[in-house]
Amino acid sequence: MEEEGTLRQLWRGFTIQREVVAALLQFQFVARWGRKNLGFAWLFCESLVFAFPVLAVWHFVRDPYEHGLPMTAFVWSGYMPLLIFRHVTGQALHTITGAVPLLYHRRITPFDLYLGHQGLEAIGNLSAVAFSFIVFYILGLIDLPYNYNILLLGFIYTTWWSMCIGLIVTALASRSEIVHHIWLPISYLYVFFCGFMFMAAWLPFKLREIALMIDPPLQCYEMIRAGLFGNQVQTFYDLSYITFILLTLTFVGLWLIQNVRKHLEL
Amino acid sequence: MITVSNLFKYYHSEINRRPIRVLSDISFQIERGEKLALLGRNGAGKSTLIRLISGIELPTQGSIERNMSVSWPVAQVSGIGSSMTGNDNIRFIARLYRKPFKEVRDYVEDFAQLGKFLSEPVRTYSAGMRSRLSFGLSLAIDFDCFLIDEVVAAGDARFQRRSQEEMFEKRADRALLLASHVPDIIRSHCSRAIVLHHGRAKLFDDLDLAIAIYNDL
Repeated sequence: MEEEGTLRQLWRGFTIQREVVAALLQFQFVARWGRKNLGFAWLFCESLVFAFPVLAVWHFVRDPYEHGLPMTAFVWSGYMPLLIFRHVTGQALHTITGAVPLLYHRRITPFDLYLGHQGLEAIGNLSAVAFSFIVFYILGLIDLPYNYNILLLGFIYTTWWSMCIGLIVTALASRSEIVHHIWLPISYLYVFFCGFMFMAAWLPFKLREIALMIDPPLQCYEMIRAGLFGNQVQTFYDLSYITFILLTLTFVGLWLIQNVRKHLEL
Repeated sequence: MITVSNLFKYYHSEINRRPIRVLSDISFQIERGEKLALLGRNGAGKSTLIRLISGIELPTQGSIERNMSVSWPVAQVSGIGSSMTGNDNIRFIARLYRKPFKEVRDYVEDFAQLGKFLSEPVRTYSAGMRSRLSFGLSLAIDFDCFLIDEVVAAGDARFQRRSQEEMFEKRADRALLLASHVPDIIRSHCSRAIVLHHGRAKLFDDLDLAIAIYNDL
């Protein structure tokens, strides 16, 4: 290599990565939704296929104003972040193994695959959140948010959290078989501790302190609900703490994925 | 030029704590334009060596230096997504290697003769059709060095003639590492041969000798 500035190299690497990820996004987009029947519209409809029955059931079996909150809005605020997590992390076990033919191209790194795969899920699910909100609002099932910024931030942090876990699972799954056996139970148990069904304020003081410390998605949920319900509810979140946790997880994930090619047996 | 130095590759074993040694202390060079044959019985490590040279898997030890552009391993299952159509794959690979889609598509269409199958998912293709697509794509991208695992001998007579014409006549100046069991192809196109056996490699300038040794393995 000739004398070349590190910045220049970095920029060139970044350009290649951008091209590769753009090509992957397009490729995965077609792979995920295809060109048949609804095609791209599934992006929005998928989430509603799940959300409507769940919401309908909750709507009829529960008191419409449990804990003084409108039930439908509460379930929406619980369910949509859960969908983001489920979809972004759901295929993480197979991000690498399911894309072996693509790894035959040296230009595609495992991290690119992850960005293309999980990134597309993230974008898709965030659009679904916006779409379902509009549908629910038109149907009169949900009120306009109290604070858009906090609501948006809550969803962005939920996505960031899901991307971190997706990255870590992607990287670990290609190193160890064990991950395949323990990840599915964990992802089911996630429903109980993520904040889907409860708020921090409903917990006893001691438990709440611990939960807020070790349960990052709970804080994301708190943000979403603070944005949605405003002073109807008491919420607990610490933006700098959760940012610090997610940054740490991001670095752990990046560190884990950097050597994945070494472990691949294509 | 590609310089392979003291290459070792171990795979972890499903049943044993000790890893399996697939390649052991392999060194050689591929010059620009050189046609090198790779001989060895099934499981000798030919495909592994090709994957390492292409850079999609990393060696356990040793190094590979590439001073020219190197293709992906062109084999039956490689480089193409099976749930996607032939056209989707062409579009993807054209984008990935910065070539105009139309140019790549026209070339592959003409070379692989897949006709209307190009708009069907690759999983519906036969093994021969897949090889044709993968080979056609790598020819369209136009590398300095092609890594080819068997596929030249795949397909019908027409395809074999066509691929030899494209690979050996039109691209006579390109380097090639060719794994093949077909002595005729090797004899007529390659200048040197590597014989792989029990993870070790030996380089031969005399092709007839290499083929004779390979036949005796």
